[in-house]
Amino acid sequence: MRRMLPSTATGALLSVCLLATTSTAWSQSAAERAVEAAQEYSGTEITVLYEAGLQALDASNFAAERWEELTGIRVNVVESPVDEIFTRIMQAHRAGTASFDVVNVIPNQMPDLAMSGALEPLDDYVERYDYAQELELIAPVYRDNWMRVEGTIYGFPDDGDVLVLYYRKDIFEDPENQEAFREQHGYDLAPPTTWEEYREIGQFITDKYAPEVYGAAGHFQPGNFQYLVQQRFRDEGGRFFDPETMRATINSEAGVRAFEGIRADLEMMPTGVEQWGFVENLNALLAGDVAMSITWPPVGRWAAGYGAETDALDWLPESQVSGRIGYALPPNGQPELAVGWALSLASTSENKEAAYLFMQWMNSEEVSLERVQLPFTLRGPFRESHYQDEGFRNLWPDAGDYLDTLWEGAQSGILDLSIIQIDRYEEALRQAISRLWAGDDIQEILDDTAEQWDALTDRIGVDAQRRAYEDWASKPNAYPTQ
Amino acid sequence: MLIRRSRADEAISGTADASRHPPDSPARARPTIFASDRVFKYAVITPAIFFILLIGLYPFIKLLLTSVQNITMFQDDTSYHGFIHFERLFSDLRFWSSLARTFAFTAVALPVQLILGFLLALLFVNRMPIRQVFVAVLLLPVVISPIVAGATWRLMFEHRFGPINQIIGWFVGEEVRLLWTSDPILVWPAILIAEVWQWTPFMFLLLLAALSNVGREQLEAAELDGASWWMTFRWIVLPAIMPVVAIALLIRGLDLVRIFDIIWTMTRGGPGTMTESVSIYAYHMAFREFEISYSAAMALVIIVLLTVLVVAALSRVEISR
Repeated sequence: MRRMLPSTATGALLSVCLLATTSTAWSQSAAERAVEAAQEYSGTEITVLYEAGLQALDASNFAAERWEELTGIRVNVVESPVDEIFTRIMQAHRAGTASFDVVNVIPNQMPDLAMSGALEPLDDYVERYDYAQELELIAPVYRDNWMRVEGTIYGFPDDGDVLVLYYRKDIFEDPENQEAFREQHGYDLAPPTTWEEYREIGQFITDKYAPEVYGAAGHFQPGNFQYLVQQRFRDEGGRFFDPETMRATINSEAGVRAFEGIRADLEMMPTGVEQWGFVENLNALLAGDVAMSITWPPVGRWAAGYGAETDALDWLPESQVSGRIGYALPPNGQPELAVGWALSLASTSENKEAAYLFMQWMNSEEVSLERVQLPFTLRGPFRESHYQDEGFRNLWPDAGDYLDTLWEGAQSGILDLSIIQIDRYEEALRQAISRLWAGDDIQEILDDTAEQWDALTDRIGVDAQRRAYEDWASKPNAYPTQ
Repeated sequence: MLIRRSRADEAISGTADASRHPPDSPARARPTIFASDRVFKYAVITPAIFFILLIGLYPFIKLLLTSVQNITMFQDDTSYHGFIHFERLFSDLRFWSSLARTFAFTAVALPVQLILGFLLALLFVNRMPIRQVFVAVLLLPVVISPIVAGATWRLMFEHRFGPINQIIGWFVGEEVRLLWTSDPILVWPAILIAEVWQWTPFMFLLLLAALSNVGREQLEAAELDGASWWMTFRWIVLPAIMPVVAIALLIRGLDLVRIFDIIWTMTRGGPGTMTESVSIYAYHMAFREFEISYSAAMALVIIVLLTVLVVAALSRVEISR
């Protein structure tokens, strides 16, 4: 009995301690767990590869300093233009250098990077640091499509990109315009639901207001525009490949219709719009020079004047359309989930634990909520809680509508094509777009593109590419449902 | 100075050492490692040869080996694959088109730069007030990085706010929106303007130096004999500056064949592949598509072609002998 007493007491004490420890672990958030574990690596330095420009301010103006304060780990930010990101990661991997620890990856390039061994599988880390539960809270479309390659986690979706239609409410809701438009076209002047309506509405506005205001504009430089082309092609009923033969079908009637429609749209847009990139389009919208623009989420925040007083945005022209911008899904209602970003761990990293913990902390519920509200980064909401957060929904008068539109887009959005060596297929598409702007014959452009795609497929291997394509095409968000 | 030089010669040849020590002294009996002129020369040259081999020959051998392997983005297959990449290269229309485009651009840009450079040199060869200031200003484009020059010219040619369209607009009296970097008709002239702007001063500098060294006495004698300007130029000036012209053409020709920066920043090879030079294509295949073995084969073919051209060019000028 005497012997039993101390052992019982010890057992009870252990149980209490265990319970206390467990409950502490339970009560800890993923961010707190990451911080606690990362303190072990205090004094080390990790390097993070970011898209150059505003996106990188996420770390350099916000996360790096706070992470260092919390953990003692220094964060070095390296920037690269968006179309060089893949190259930089691959170069570092092939050279075997530990140039980066954490890399921002475009999700449709993730399979290529993972298959070439450039990215570290994350499942063990997720389990070790108990992150699975919070990963599940990422919006389903991003969680289910941007995180895994062949069932293995290679990245954390970290930027809910989706293309949104921004339109001038004052022009659309003007009674005189409403009446004139209905008389001319037989339907209400409202955000367009088809590409034909888009062109007609745009033309109506251009005819009435140009050169002060044009019907629409966009970012038409091939690098940015290829995503909208992918959407437009699928909106027209196009399929990228014949799944039987894996021959490219971009040169189908749907492809021709899409390209003809795009070229026809230019009629109601400012001259030279085909050379506009993201910034030119943004400037035009903020200046009130265009009535419609299909672009990424940050534009909606800036158009509302959010963050105008921020130093990092002092280059941004003052929004002349604050309070007059409405949010809607682009025609056809299934927007392209264009680009997006995922946080991945470089396989050549020499600080894998510290780097992973930084990723988990950044991507966690509480820290990511702060990050998506930073006015100076390009980060869109990507967790269910982001869209519902009361603070976020009250950042400006229409913020609730804005978040609802993004959420709607995240439900119905369609994925960028993702197959083996996707960058090479996209490169051919970018060339096709620049030829479209140069005035080449559309069928000829698309035939050449299809020929390039076929040659690529043959070189990669038809069977291997078929498997990759079938895997991508089987996802519910690969092709529009309508 | 003379004494110093002779002592240095003695030191190299070892004679100083020999004369300083009598024939039976220990130093005479144990010659140093530099005692032999030949050994010393080899000792001096060896590090240089080692580094040249390290930085020149090793990459070349590696390139050769890589070109017959099959290293791609996904596989490090270093087994021997024969000449598959060369076969593919010979049927790669994009490669041959980019090569043809590069040579065609060189054939246009090189004479333009030569002629403009020569005219500028003629203008500045005679003494004039603040000539040095003008020459220094003219040389500024050369010291700018081609990437910066290309980015600047892209802005200059910007269709809405670029000064080029605005200046044209002043002349024609209405707003002009020429799409310099995407219109198939305008894109090459735009690149040519940027390239000529940046590198004509280089031609100018070399030709100015060459013209400045043409013998005054010969020119004065020709003038006294009543030779025309053309005859003086043809029979006195041109032969005198010809070696420099040849070298200038060779340097600039090679630069133009590997043109990358200006085109990359202005058009990225577009629209389509219309302005894609062979360097851009090689970069694309190597560092964007990671077709490592294929791009090695491509580099090898380019090296062979350029070597043939350089040897042919050098054999026609004085320095080859």
